[in-house]
Amino acid sequence: MWLKIRPYLLLMPAVGLTLLLFFGGLALGLLQSLGLFSISGGSSFTFEWYQTLLVDQAFWKSFWLSFYTAGISTLISAVLGILTALGLLRLSYKWQRMTQFALLVPHFIAGYVVILLFMQSGWVSRWLHAFGLIDSIEQFPILVNDPFGWGVILTYIWKETPFIALMVYPVLARIYQSWLEVAQTLGASRLSFFREIVLPLVLPAWLASALIVLAFTFSAFEVPYLLGVTFPETLSVFSYQTYLSGSLEERPLALAVNFLLAVATGFLGWIAYQWSKRWSVQGWKGW
Amino acid sequence: MILRKIFTSVILSVLVALMAGCTSQGQDQEKSQPSEQTTPLEKSWEEISSTAKGKTVSLYMWGGSDSINRYIDEWVAPRLKEQSGVTLKRVPVNDTKDVINQLLTEKKAGKTNGSVDIIWLNGENFKIAKENQLLFGSIAPKLPNVQDYVAMGAPDLQYDFGIDTEGMEVPWGKAQYVFIYDSKHVAEPPKTIDELKDWIKQNPGKFTYPAPPDFTGSAFLRHVLFETSGGYEDFLKPFDQQIMDEKSQAAWAYLNEIKPDLWRKGETYPESLAKLDLLYSQGEVWMTMGYDAARASNEIKKGTFPESTRTFVLDKGTLANAHYLSISFNSAQPDAAMVAINYLLSPEAQIAKFDPRHWGEDMVLEPSKLSTEEQQQINSIDRGVATLPAEALAKHKIPEIHADYVDYLEKEWKTNVAKD
Repeated sequence: MWLKIRPYLLLMPAVGLTLLLFFGGLALGLLQSLGLFSISGGSSFTFEWYQTLLVDQAFWKSFWLSFYTAGISTLISAVLGILTALGLLRLSYKWQRMTQFALLVPHFIAGYVVILLFMQSGWVSRWLHAFGLIDSIEQFPILVNDPFGWGVILTYIWKETPFIALMVYPVLARIYQSWLEVAQTLGASRLSFFREIVLPLVLPAWLASALIVLAFTFSAFEVPYLLGVTFPETLSVFSYQTYLSGSLEERPLALAVNFLLAVATGFLGWIAYQWSKRWSVQGWKGW
Repeated sequence: MILRKIFTSVILSVLVALMAGCTSQGQDQEKSQPSEQTTPLEKSWEEISSTAKGKTVSLYMWGGSDSINRYIDEWVAPRLKEQSGVTLKRVPVNDTKDVINQLLTEKKAGKTNGSVDIIWLNGENFKIAKENQLLFGSIAPKLPNVQDYVAMGAPDLQYDFGIDTEGMEVPWGKAQYVFIYDSKHVAEPPKTIDELKDWIKQNPGKFTYPAPPDFTGSAFLRHVLFETSGGYEDFLKPFDQQIMDEKSQAAWAYLNEIKPDLWRKGETYPESLAKLDLLYSQGEVWMTMGYDAARASNEIKKGTFPESTRTFVLDKGTLANAHYLSISFNSAQPDAAMVAINYLLSPEAQIAKFDPRHWGEDMVLEPSKLSTEEQQQINSIDRGVATLPAEALAKHKIPEIHADYVDYLEKEWKTNVAKD
């Protein structure tokens, strides 16, 4: 008995602290978004702030913006990520290490680099001008702080592609090591090997990492803050601005947005978990 | 199954224990707080200085200016360390509101041993801090340099955006809003907000302002408000929502009128002054602005702004205010914090701050109270090619208005201008 619970007891301080800080913060945010323990004084239960949000058109615009920038970024990064991972299989170990460097760059630095490169007076635009490809820098397309969000998407693609690549790479490496020769002796072409064997086996890891990216890009703050437009802003920026602006009375509104973001993220995490469970139950475990 | 039950119950009990620990700790601290808090304010300056020796204090301040950061790190910190044994650690923040938020949370949680010792603040942030008792207390009467050199009773120092400081914060410097322009493209800078509008229309895409609630963008709104509604005087009275709704109409009309001719047709605004400066230094826009009369000269020297950069003020005046240093309610080292603030207000530190090689900002000390040597030293400082002469600035100063107006403008700007 003692031996059995020992590992749990040893984990307790770390797990307990994480749970306390994470769920404690979440719970406090939820309570305050419901008007309880208000920081500006007073405490009364109300759904008022959620109501305000859900009938506000600006909120839905922000929601839609967050959703489609996250969706497009995830789709493109997922495709590029698996292609990169396939490419990595053919490269030496040294090169594989190189791609990990991309992961070390914090998101806001990546965002700033994209601004410096792609703003209308940025490096790319000036190079094009210097080589005579455009007559003036104003002709360079508006890629950052653009209403659609291309700047945000671009930044996420270059940050998340290596992440997905590194998540699926070990799986791919194992598949190729253990199945490629077998498949080839049985007459599979490289393409049919990829379609019939690689794709089904890599799918759980691939989908799970894509969902992580989706959940992250949907709720992350710094990139849309630096590269977005003033209005509409993503939900995270909307929440930040509300939290910071002037009076304390509107703070529950910001926390309500945060809680909805947390729910959305949790939901995506739950789907990812369900998927991975379904795959493992279907007997892919043993390969 | 049993294991899982045990696991859950143990986790729960640990959680409960931790929470209980937090609350009881909080209560203890609340009880002991008053006595702890008042001690440094009751001590003599000698006692304070001797307690301060060997301590480290943190200074939480807006970190967006290299020259200011260098002044603190390279000029102040080593001298303070040498003279009084206090180590000053600068902690950069993007917005002072972040610090206020942190303190609000710490206050709620009953945390007494805070990491924030000194805060650089004014206006709205001081209002929130004062209302929520986030500050240590009336420190000004304790500091020798404040008593010797600062005219604390002067209205521009005693009232911070219309709020009585009550000595809870100590003035550190004065700032005046100036517009910065590139004289290569702007032959004759506008003198009024109306002339600015004409200029914007003639030069589409070459002007913008930071999106409020950015500090600088918010101040730009106030200049527009004053000049479109007939002067700042009306806004020194207590806030009245109805009057404000009427008076602000002309300002929103103005801002929407210039919008199509702004940078990127007003579809978006720079989210910070740093971004506007970047646009200016790259030549995308031809004007920037800010609360620092000497900043343009400094940026020229660093090579970020073009040599042809100059500054202008409006005929009817630009906003001027003082900014302050204060100590947080839960500072772990209040004695050392007081010693550090006192040093920042010493003639040598203030004169160095006035010198554009370090920062170039207005002093907060009364020049008449300084020695003749020090006065000569001040007169010999060259404030840089783009800095307006002191008299020109002084003649065009207008006071800040009550923080409630600032809140109102920032919020309404989003509805009336950004969303349209």
